[in-house]
Amino acid sequence: MRIINDLNIKKQAEELGVSVWQTPSFLFMLMGLITIIAMTATFYISRNYDNPSILVIAECVVVVTIFSIGNSVIQEIEQMARVNKMKTEFVFVASHQLRTPLSAILWEIELLIKKRGGGLNEKQLESLNSISLLSGRMARLVSDLLDVARIDQGKLTLKKDKIDLFAIVDEITKTLSPLIQSKNLQVVFKKCRSKCLILGDAEKLGLAVENLISNALKYSNNKGKIEIKIKKDGKDLIFSIQDNGVGIPASQQKMVFNKFFRSDNVVKYQTEGTGLGLYIAKNIVEQSGGKIWFQSKENIGTTFSFSLPAVS
Amino acid sequence: MDNKKILVIEDEVSLQKSLSEFLEEENFEVISALDGEKGLAMAQEEKPDLILLDIILPKKDGYEVLAELKQSEQTKRIPVILLTNLEGPEDIEKAFENGASTYLVKSNYKLEDIVKKIKSTLKM
Repeated sequence: MRIINDLNIKKQAEELGVSVWQTPSFLFMLMGLITIIAMTATFYISRNYDNPSILVIAECVVVVTIFSIGNSVIQEIEQMARVNKMKTEFVFVASHQLRTPLSAILWEIELLIKKRGGGLNEKQLESLNSISLLSGRMARLVSDLLDVARIDQGKLTLKKDKIDLFAIVDEITKTLSPLIQSKNLQVVFKKCRSKCLILGDAEKLGLAVENLISNALKYSNNKGKIEIKIKKDGKDLIFSIQDNGVGIPASQQKMVFNKFFRSDNVVKYQTEGTGLGLYIAKNIVEQSGGKIWFQSKENIGTTFSFSLPAVS
Repeated sequence: MDNKKILVIEDEVSLQKSLSEFLEEENFEVISALDGEKGLAMAQEEKPDLILLDIILPKKDGYEVLAELKQSEQTKRIPVILLTNLEGPEDIEKAFENGASTYLVKSNYKLEDIVKKIKSTLKM
């Protein structure tokens, strides 16, 4: 069965969630094999039997067989496409439906804390803040799921505007400053001398950058140091963020960009994160024409980088 | 100083109530409608300073309401902020094509941030 592995049929079977005998690649190979056998058989029949009607019958049998198998293959592929579409549609519908009660909860709590909060003691306010944070996490998970569904359907549309990467990074760092301060982290910024302009979607790239920066913050120990660099390298701009935190264990490094992957090395007390951030970030960067990569050593730190084509 | 009047067209009762109460606490005058048809009628009658419009509504959906608001001489100058949980690029494009000033996804926005958007739209 080495042939099966070599042709990546096993991988395809896993990806599509069917058995090896049901994958389109295998079925096409089978059809090809049958065509060859049929043609060979027809040749020998025509050589040994001089009767044209036998030849015609043989040809008909061959054609019918090939059409039948071809039909099964097409139906199999259609069925898989249908199921895939249903799964993604379900994610879309469920996510939108979840957003309504989520918004209601978030707003009720905000109203409670900000406008009806008089008379609540400290512990009660603490509970409310906690509920608010957790509901916010749910809302972000729903947003992430929707992004993933769009990516999987190939429907993630990215704008192509001239944007300033430095401005985006700067704004995100400012919004994350409470977390930076609470962990006593030192953030150092080095940027290229000229303007850091790229062609892309400010909102989506902002998501990718926010994910990389918040990961660096999450996986850093208290009083750690984070260095963010934007530099020009030939035709590209390269963004990199380096932390001296817990790092990613070598055994887990090839799974880093997988959906729902969370490193075992999570710093204590950290429960945030959906595990979808890097999967989404990778897709956004690659769809914007760039590449994303990382280097990491356990207990020493991690550096995540991405490149994007620069514009003047 | 006259308080600014805001029309909230939202069919989800709990959302409408939280939004209205928060806006009133921020010194806005708030009127509300639970469906598209009533919302349109109220807009023409009360002439609010700004409209917060949901997309998925009974009787007339947000896009229809938006289109009719922009066609009527009395209401076409009122800024409309679309407040919805839909997020598809097609939805966003359709909203701006039909004349929306801003498009906000409810579950991504705190009430105080919505107030900031309202104030900046009304140049307060």
